[in-house]
Amino acid sequence: MSDGRSWQGNWKARLYERVRGRGYDSLTAFAEARPTASLEELAEELGKDDIAGVQVFSGLVAEAERSHRLTRLVRGQFVRELHAYLSTGWPSEMGDENRFKVARALAGWYSFTPETHKERVDRAGDALLANPPPAGWRPLGPDDELLRTLLPDDEA
Amino acid sequence: MRARLLVLSLALLTTGCISVPHAPARGRTLNYTPRAATPPEGVDIASDERPGAFDPSPYSIAGSWPRQRFVRHGGARIDATKAASGAVGGGAQTGASPRQAVLDAIDEVKGTLDGVEGTFTKLAAHRPRALGEQSLNDDGLFSRFVEHGSAQVTWLRGGLGSATGLTEVASEVGDPDMELGVLRMTGPKLQATMFGTLLLATWVDFLQFSAAIIKHCFVCSDEKLFVDLHRVQRLMEPTLKDLESLDPERVEAAATAMPELMGKLTQEFAALQAQTRESMRVGEKVLTAAQVLEMVSMISTLKMSLPRLPPAAPVTLGMSLAMGSGGVMMGSRIVVSAEWVEMMRRLVQAGVISLPAVNAAVRIHGGQVMMAQAYQDLPQGVRDALGDSPEVRGMHVTGKAGAGMSEAPKHHVLPKEHREWFEQRGFKGDMDIDQFCVRLEKSQHEAIHGGGNWRLGRTWPGEWNRMLMKALSDAEVEAGRRLTRNAVLDIVADRMKDYRIPMNFVTGRRR
Repeated sequence: MSDGRSWQGNWKARLYERVRGRGYDSLTAFAEARPTASLEELAEELGKDDIAGVQVFSGLVAEAERSHRLTRLVRGQFVRELHAYLSTGWPSEMGDENRFKVARALAGWYSFTPETHKERVDRAGDALLANPPPAGWRPLGPDDELLRTLLPDDEA
Repeated sequence: MRARLLVLSLALLTTGCISVPHAPARGRTLNYTPRAATPPEGVDIASDERPGAFDPSPYSIAGSWPRQRFVRHGGARIDATKAASGAVGGGAQTGASPRQAVLDAIDEVKGTLDGVEGTFTKLAAHRPRALGEQSLNDDGLFSRFVEHGSAQVTWLRGGLGSATGLTEVASEVGDPDMELGVLRMTGPKLQATMFGTLLLATWVDFLQFSAAIIKHCFVCSDEKLFVDLHRVQRLMEPTLKDLESLDPERVEAAATAMPELMGKLTQEFAALQAQTRESMRVGEKVLTAAQVLEMVSMISTLKMSLPRLPPAAPVTLGMSLAMGSGGVMMGSRIVVSAEWVEMMRRLVQAGVISLPAVNAAVRIHGGQVMMAQAYQDLPQGVRDALGDSPEVRGMHVTGKAGAGMSEAPKHHVLPKEHREWFEQRGFKGDMDIDQFCVRLEKSQHEAIHGGGNWRLGRTWPGEWNRMLMKALSDAEVEAGRRLTRNAVLDIVADRMKDYRIPMNFVTGRRR
C-alpha cells in the first residue's frame, strides 16, 4: 500500500515519463491499449507505489479536453468500472447482491465523470436500469455498439 | 520438640492452602485454559522440558529450585500447548488469515485474563486475615490493592470485546484491503490488552506473595509491606493508564517501555523476597520461610526474570534468545512457542501489531528485562522469524521512532460534515467515523481536496469529500435502498484505492 509517495515530487512529469517509457506518446494511447483495466491497475502499471488512479484519470481528462473526445473517455470509463464489479457481464437477474454490484459500478462511473457530462451520464445510467441490456453484456471498449447508442459522440 | 514439629506441620499445611487454588494448575502457570490439558502436537519440546524430567540442575541452590524449575518449564510447555491448540482451533495452520491470527491472539489474552481474574476473586474472598489471626492493620488496605487489580480487568475485557467486535465486522467486509484495514483497527486494543494482562498477572504475583507474607510471616511488618505494594502500584500506574487509553501512540510507547518496567518490578519483587527471607530467618524457622516463598505459584513472567537467590544474578545473564525449532529458545527453555511466533509474524505482517511491541513481549516472556539497555533489540534470527523487514517496519509507523508519516496530521476519511449520514448507516461506537482517520502529508491532503492546483484537466474536480459522498448517494439511489455499513465500506475502499490512500486507520478527534 502506498504511503503517500504518489503525491511527492513532480508527479505529472513522472506520469508522462513512465508513459513514454512504455512506448506511448499519450496517456490516452496507453489507457486505450488496456480498455478493461481499472484506473488502479493502470496506475499500478505506471508506478507501483508512486502513481495514483486519480492522477491517471486527471491526465486522461486533460488529454480528452484537448482532443475533444471527452465522451469517448466517459464511455471508456464505464467499461473499466463494469469490468471491475461485473466481470461476467450484466447480471441476468437483479437480486440484492447483483443490484449492489451494478450500483457500485455506476457509482464509480459517476465519480469519474467530468462536470460537462454529469447529466448525460445520469440519464444513461437510468436508461440502463430501465431497459437492461442483455444478460452477460460486457463491452470491451468505448466503441461498443450499445454503449455508443447510450452515449453517442457529440463533439465535432 | 513436639511443639516445633506442630508449628512446622501447621505451616506446611497452611502454605499448602495457598497453593490450592493452583493445585490443578500445574497445567496453568501462564494461563488457566483447559486446552492446556491437550498434549501439544507437532511442538518440538526437548525432553528436559517435560515435567518430571528435571534433575537437580546446576542452578539448584536450595532444595527448592527443582520445583521452581519445574514451574518454569511447565509454564513454557503450556504456553507452547496453548498456542498450538489455538492454531488447531483455527482450522487452518500456517498461512491462515490475519483475521484468524487476531482471533487466536484475542483468545490467548482472554485465557490469561480469565486466570488473573480468577485469582483476584479468590484473593478477594480469602483475605489474608480470614483465618481469624490478630490483625495489626486494617484489612481494607489489602482489599483495596486487590480491587485496584479487579478494576483493570473491566477495561481489559472491554478492550477484548471491542477487538472481537471489529474482527466480526472485518469478516463481513467484502473488500479484502478494507477487511485488513478494519482488522488493523484491533491493533491498539489487542496490544493494550496483551500488555495490560501481562502487567496485571505481575500484580497478581505481588498480591499472592503479599497474602502469603501477611498470613505466615508473623515478624514481617505489614506496614512496610503495604508501603512496598503502594510503591509497586505507583510504578505500574502510568503504564496502565497509557494502555487503558487505547490511544495507538500511547499504547505503543507503553508497550515498548514495558521491558524496562518489568525490570523494575522484578527488582521490587526480588527485594520483597529477600526481605521476607531475612525477616523469617531472624524470627522464625528457615524451613518455613523457604516453604512460604516457594509455595506461592507465580503466574506472571516475573518468574522468568527473577534473579536466582542467592547470589543475586539475573537469570538471563550471558544467555541470549535464539530461534529454534520449538520457538524462541533460551538455552533449552522455550520462551515462546513456534506457533506463538507464527501468530505474531502474521499480525506484524498484516500491520495489526507493531514489531517493536512484539519484540518487547518476547523479551518480557524471556525474562530479559533486567538489561533494558543492553538488549534493545532481539537477535536477527528471532527478528526474522517474527517477520521483520524494511517493508513491515514502514507499514506500522507509530511514535517518534517511525518515519515522517507518524507526524503527519490526521484526516477523516468519512467527511465529518456528514457524521449523521454515516451514523444512520451503522458507523457508531468502535466504528464511529472518528475511527476512520488517516495520516496524510500536506501535499497529498491538499491534492485530495482539490487544492494545490494538482489537476491536469479542468472539467473533473476530483475533490475527495464531494466525490465520495456523491458516489455513496448515487450507489444508494441505484441500489434502491439504504446502503449497509459494509456496502459503504466497500465503496469507500474503492475510492481510497483510486487516491492511493493507505487503509491504515488511526483514531481522530471528534472536533
